[in-house]
Amino acid sequence: MNHAIISCLHANLPAAKAVLNDIDRQGIDTITCLGDLVGYGPQPNEVVELIRKRGIATCQGCWDEDIIDGLNACECSYPSQLAERRGHLAHQWTDDQLTDENKSFLASLPTSLRRDRLLFVHGSPNSQHEYLLPDMDAFAALERVETAGADILFCGHTHQPYVRELRDGSIRVRLQNADHECDQGEELTLPMRKIVNAGSVGEPRHGSTNATYVIHNDATDEVEIKEVPYDVGRTCQAIVEAGLPKVFAWRLSHGFEFAEQAEDASHVCER
Amino acid sequence: MRSHQGKCGYLRLDGYPSNELEQVSDSGIDKAFLKDQFPELIDLSDSHHASRSQQGDLLTLIELPQFQAPQHAGLTGMDPRVKNQLEALQLHPDRHLHFGRDPELPNKDTLEFNKLESFSLSLNASVWDPPSLNTLWFELVNGAYGDVYRAKALMNLPDGRSMFFNWIVSQESSQFLPLEEISAPNGRPASLSELVVQGKHLDGLRIQSTIDLCLLNDAVLEMHQMPLRDRQKEAIPST
Repeated sequence: MNHAIISCLHANLPAAKAVLNDIDRQGIDTITCLGDLVGYGPQPNEVVELIRKRGIATCQGCWDEDIIDGLNACECSYPSQLAERRGHLAHQWTDDQLTDENKSFLASLPTSLRRDRLLFVHGSPNSQHEYLLPDMDAFAALERVETAGADILFCGHTHQPYVRELRDGSIRVRLQNADHECDQGEELTLPMRKIVNAGSVGEPRHGSTNATYVIHNDATDEVEIKEVPYDVGRTCQAIVEAGLPKVFAWRLSHGFEFAEQAEDASHVCER
Repeated sequence: MRSHQGKCGYLRLDGYPSNELEQVSDSGIDKAFLKDQFPELIDLSDSHHASRSQQGDLLTLIELPQFQAPQHAGLTGMDPRVKNQLEALQLHPDRHLHFGRDPELPNKDTLEFNKLESFSLSLNASVWDPPSLNTLWFELVNGAYGDVYRAKALMNLPDGRSMFFNWIVSQESSQFLPLEEISAPNGRPASLSELVVQGKHLDGLRIQSTIDLCLLNDAVLEMHQMPLRDRQKEAIPST
């Protein structure tokens, strides 16, 4: 059976509606959302209410978490001083707009969802703030999936959709005693694992302005990355009218592949 | 200039406002960059050195702001006022080439415009958060603050390095060149730092406000520089 995975809606209502319409047209009624319903975009309440109304199973993203817990993340959450200060502006604006009811909803979201051998998270099983980039070290990537006890890990956060198959994985353990004599090592061969990144509905950064999401067939494990055009100009206009930084609209209207990344993107904030 | 065996010189000539085209004041970026790369560079705009323009082996880079194509080809198309400036230095041009007209120059550099805006900002004593600088430059040259035809800058980094940034709309990417001279990691650098942008519909206020978000305050600058000073101390052998 096909099911759809969406992520990083970022308060972009036209994009969210377009993607849900696309999913509906295909007759798919199981949808999982990987969080970041708010942040950067101009319609936070509308997007949260759309997800609530549709009863879409959702896990909490980093923006959803920060809106509830406050901006107490250490500076590692932002790749630059500029990104941090813009993030704070957007955070303050979003915080002012969101109703208490919608904040309560975001606070109630779990950090992960599991369906049999499928695990759904926003960033990684470790943190909503950790980036699983497509070129992440293979051992580290395999470790994230394996220790979470999943065959397929669905994530978002990077805004770049991808499917990464981790084949022929093995972990070799060798113990060394105090006399520096090596004991016999043990090697554990792992079956194939998969990381599927759903990209972003509301703030795509994959070289196109189209919203992205993925469809997974749980019988065949086939994954399809879908692109959906939407009225980008309408969202850009709403960003400017809301008084959010114009550069958010500019960024959205270009869909640049460029994205700021921390020096160590896999760094996990230990606040 | 790098391959030239003899002395190198630099001369910046004043442009002449005409047809309501805005003139760019000399930011000093090119001179500062060339002086860093060629410490023996002779500045011919300095009257003390003007007589050296006749040195037989002198290779001189002459800059002149000119925002419109000449009416005639060859030397006859050259502005007589520019000719006069050169002749005062006993310089007699034998050729006059122009982008978009003469095949010796890349025609990709032809820019069609009726009015050019310019924006410049002194950044002396400013130090950038490096990843923020990377983002600002990307946004600037990709049109987030208006259509940019040309941008160049000297920018200071917290480790004491200065970088020359250079962008031309017809080129595929920006040029980033480190200056040879490195300031001591001890507070704010004294070297020239400036941004100059030319284009259309430039939003100078937004460029300025974004830059304000990118510059390091004293406390953060000290956080960057303190470990560098400590490393320098460790590197000095004890006697």
